[in-house]
Amino acid sequence: MPFNSIPAIDFLNRESELAYLRRLPEVKSDGLTGNVILTGGRGIGKTELLKQLYLRLFREEGCTPFYYSFRTANLKGNYFARDYFARFVRQYIAFLRKEPSLAENVSEPLQKLMPLVSSLGLEWLLDCMADFQVHLDNNDLYWQVIAAISVPVTAARKGGRPVFVMLDDFDAAENLYESVRGDAHGLTSLFSEAMKNSLCPHVITGSAAALEAIFADQAFIGGVERLRLGALPDDLARQLFRSLLGKLRLSCPAEESLQFLNLLRGNPLYIRNLAAAARKMQKDNLAEKDLVECYSMDVSEGETARYWSSVFSRCTGGAARKKAVVKLLMHSVEGGGMEGERLSKVLGLREAETGAALDELQASGILSDQEPLLQDFIRGLFLREIEGRTAEQVREAIEKKYSRAKPESCFELVIPMDLNAELVAAGAVEQIGKNLGLDSDFLSFLQLALIEVCINAIEHSGSHDRRILLKFISRADDIEITVESAGRPFTLDSLSAVPAEEKLRGGQKRGWGFRLISGIMDNVKVERVGDRTRVILNKNIKHKEVL
Amino acid sequence: MNPAQFTVDSRLDGDTAVIYPKGYLNNLAGESLVAECGRYTGKGIRKIVLNFGGTGLINSIGISLLLQIIEDLRTIEGTVCFSNMSKFQVDTLDMLGLLKHLRIFPAESEALQYLGAGAV
Repeated sequence: MPFNSIPAIDFLNRESELAYLRRLPEVKSDGLTGNVILTGGRGIGKTELLKQLYLRLFREEGCTPFYYSFRTANLKGNYFARDYFARFVRQYIAFLRKEPSLAENVSEPLQKLMPLVSSLGLEWLLDCMADFQVHLDNNDLYWQVIAAISVPVTAARKGGRPVFVMLDDFDAAENLYESVRGDAHGLTSLFSEAMKNSLCPHVITGSAAALEAIFADQAFIGGVERLRLGALPDDLARQLFRSLLGKLRLSCPAEESLQFLNLLRGNPLYIRNLAAAARKMQKDNLAEKDLVECYSMDVSEGETARYWSSVFSRCTGGAARKKAVVKLLMHSVEGGGMEGERLSKVLGLREAETGAALDELQASGILSDQEPLLQDFIRGLFLREIEGRTAEQVREAIEKKYSRAKPESCFELVIPMDLNAELVAAGAVEQIGKNLGLDSDFLSFLQLALIEVCINAIEHSGSHDRRILLKFISRADDIEITVESAGRPFTLDSLSAVPAEEKLRGGQKRGWGFRLISGIMDNVKVERVGDRTRVILNKNIKHKEVL
Repeated sequence: MNPAQFTVDSRLDGDTAVIYPKGYLNNLAGESLVAECGRYTGKGIRKIVLNFGGTGLINSIGISLLLQIIEDLRTIEGTVCFSNMSKFQVDTLDMLGLLKHLRIFPAESEALQYLGAGAV
């Protein structure tokens, strides 16, 4: 229901969108579009924006707000029609009386409201209710749906004030059916008439991909504008989290620890759920470690996991199909290609099965919207559903991913591409290693790997600025060295490791560098950042390597 | 690691040249080491001991140039032995799969003894 919204004070950074939407009745009366498709990532606050808008309109007199969520609706046609019609009548009367409880009491039969409707002088509404009952008695689905969808238009005409229609998760309306799923395609197009009415602006939410498909229908063309809700900026995301913790009487983590929130990509739903997880886990004096624990719990079995599970369950059928979809999602998280035929072979699924799962996932937006949190949810799902891990093991796996010791020290250095400049970099490693108490052979190998990367940059990059940027991060169990330089791209593939015998036989004396680097380091990664090549070297530190 | 300026000393021990590369063995240093070896082979010396006791780090280009020396000696049917290498240096060559292609002795005297026994 629209009345269970969050307090306006916690609804941050959406004033311009609210102001824009509030002007829609005026825009529409001027003959302009006046209907808006509201898109944005899941959990970004589309539903909340509708609820906030609803509350503000409810308190005023300018237009009557009507909110309907398809997410929870029964999509069997006649149920839907009755529900839509009844909710409209209740919300309309609630607005006139300024009594939210009238809208919320959905269990009360409409007939019981008739005396109230009559006392308000709404004879036209009584007529609508009587007509609707006739359609019900005749078991005429088409006219039931038409009557339900058009009741806001009738109300706007007869009541003398615009009706602002908010249709949440409208893409689900594509699944309206008469007797069995799929037997009544095209019912959504019936909304087009109501949307064209100058007294009824509509705001519609749902998956962007699915909505675009719906509104490509001839019946809707030219009738809607798009408004995309973006993420909260970092500072507001932190402000929201602090405010929520304050309300839960939990002390707020230090600013440094709040950097962890960046992982949530400014998504208000995730931020709320993380705060709720902290309360549930009875965490106070939150440190980053606690945030990681709360996050792992939330994304594996908390509110966020439930949210995504519910979205996910709409894309799956039976158990076998569910496993196929989980495998497919994991494949996409790991960056695998999504071409149907190849995918079927990789996943061991039938092509038709893969195709159907792909279509549903694409329509739901899950495939196109893979932020880090969603990837963690998918990994958790894979561990549980495919690998049979327990909830605790899943939680631990996610925690482990983010529970790296924080950097103990970080040095940055710029060296010129000059003769023996790599020795300056090697000297820095030597000192850092001494600070960590590393043994000399271990350090020599690190120096050698770094020297090789620097030499490679000097010899092959053709860099215009002739500088190499180095960053050393030392942790208790790991050293990370980043070497960055402008110039020609460099990939590990370009430095194939030819066996020694082959090299010697072929008189090939150069090209040992990559073999040394990969032999010494535990992980070598090459990235291209703009016109720069970044090589990231990681070396784990074992106890025996510390003096 | 000893990143000191590279130098190369040498001496003749009978029919064997003993060469002492000192410092960081990179491209320039490696080339001067190759030149020093060439100076002896040009005089007909076909046995060389490279004593790495004073050598610090050997980078991949330095290694390439050591392989160049081995090949040069092989061309004239000569022999080159490595001695006094640190564990780190030996481990580096091992990492590259080169150990089985090299003659490495813990001490210079052992290398000289090997070459004195008529190994060419």
